[in-house]
Amino acid sequence: MGLLSSILLAPFTGPWSGTMWTLDKVQRSVEEQLIDDTPIKEDLMNLQLALEVGDIDDDEYVRREAEIMQRLREVRDWRERLGKGNAGGPVRVARDREDESE
Amino acid sequence: MTEQPLSFGADSADAADAADAAGKYVYCIIRHDRVRDFGNVGIGGGRRVYTVQHEDLAAVVSDTPIVIYDPTRENVLAHEFVNETVMREFTVIPMSFGTVFRSEDDVSELLRSTYRAFTDVLDKMQDKIEFGLKVLWDRDKVVAKIEQENDEIRRLKDEITRNAASSTYFARMQLGRLVEGAMEEAGNRYVTDIHDALKAVAVASRSNKVIGDRMITNSAFLVDRSREKEFDDAVREISRKYEDVLTFKYTGPWPPYNFVNIKLKLERAN
Repeated sequence: MGLLSSILLAPFTGPWSGTMWTLDKVQRSVEEQLIDDTPIKEDLMNLQLALEVGDIDDDEYVRREAEIMQRLREVRDWRERLGKGNAGGPVRVARDREDESE
Repeated sequence: MTEQPLSFGADSADAADAADAAGKYVYCIIRHDRVRDFGNVGIGGGRRVYTVQHEDLAAVVSDTPIVIYDPTRENVLAHEFVNETVMREFTVIPMSFGTVFRSEDDVSELLRSTYRAFTDVLDKMQDKIEFGLKVLWDRDKVVAKIEQENDEIRRLKDEITRNAASSTYFARMQLGRLVEGAMEEAGNRYVTDIHDALKAVAVASRSNKVIGDRMITNSAFLVDRSREKEFDDAVREISRKYEDVLTFKYTGPWPPYNFVNIKLKLERAN
């Protein structure tokens, strides 16, 4: 980009980088939502409670549970894709600790 | 005990078959120095539940493919059912739902490397069981009760109803605020009263986050087995005291999920 375009575009530099920053922030917050299973687990607990106190019947529970499990799987997929790791997969005792001895 | 070589890849179907019997789903840790069979009650459709030993410790496990278990009701109930079964005879340290190890060796390694912590906790938890208590209120009934008992609120409300047309926005807002405050106070009073009544019979208690907007307490109590009946009676008595406004959801006995806090140094095994 030449000097001229720099000058011509100068007024836009500020707002433009601002937009970039905002987009970056939006992107990150979307990512955080994609990999956060807390609200899904809350929904599941609410659903269980609703069944327990008789607000919903068994059929309704099964239907909504399936939806929630689908959302959980989607979050797991995203975590996998973004390299975040998932709770509940196969584990083993960490072998690289020095205080491992009994 | 058969040992599967760790030569399977997660993706191919053949490998999945080979892996089918190799993974171990761990339900809990107990003190027992012989192999023990708990029957075909395991997660994933009634798999055999048995123990993996290390000295006098045993992990209660069933074979599993290497998968992540969804916390469906069916799966969670299977997990809980095994722990309940084992609990009838043993003091248990429950594992979190969905804990899967790659092999029996990895389970033995868990017992070996965490031996002391498990032993300490098993001593502390000897003959202790957990009960859960969720208390929900009926908002309308609580509001009605508050209006009955609180003169200021009753007067303000009467005033507003009598002069419906002319009563001001501020009077209504003030009423709302007063009711809100009185509700909070009543909720705290109920919770304190319930906890005081039950703490006396429990070894320890813990409050968890409430679920939804009708719950005023979500607590766990650690109780000595010998006082189970006493605790039951205390719950029954306090729930009778508040039966007009509160609903009690009382569950258990559970393994001490809320009172065992061993930080296991686990890593992903891929």
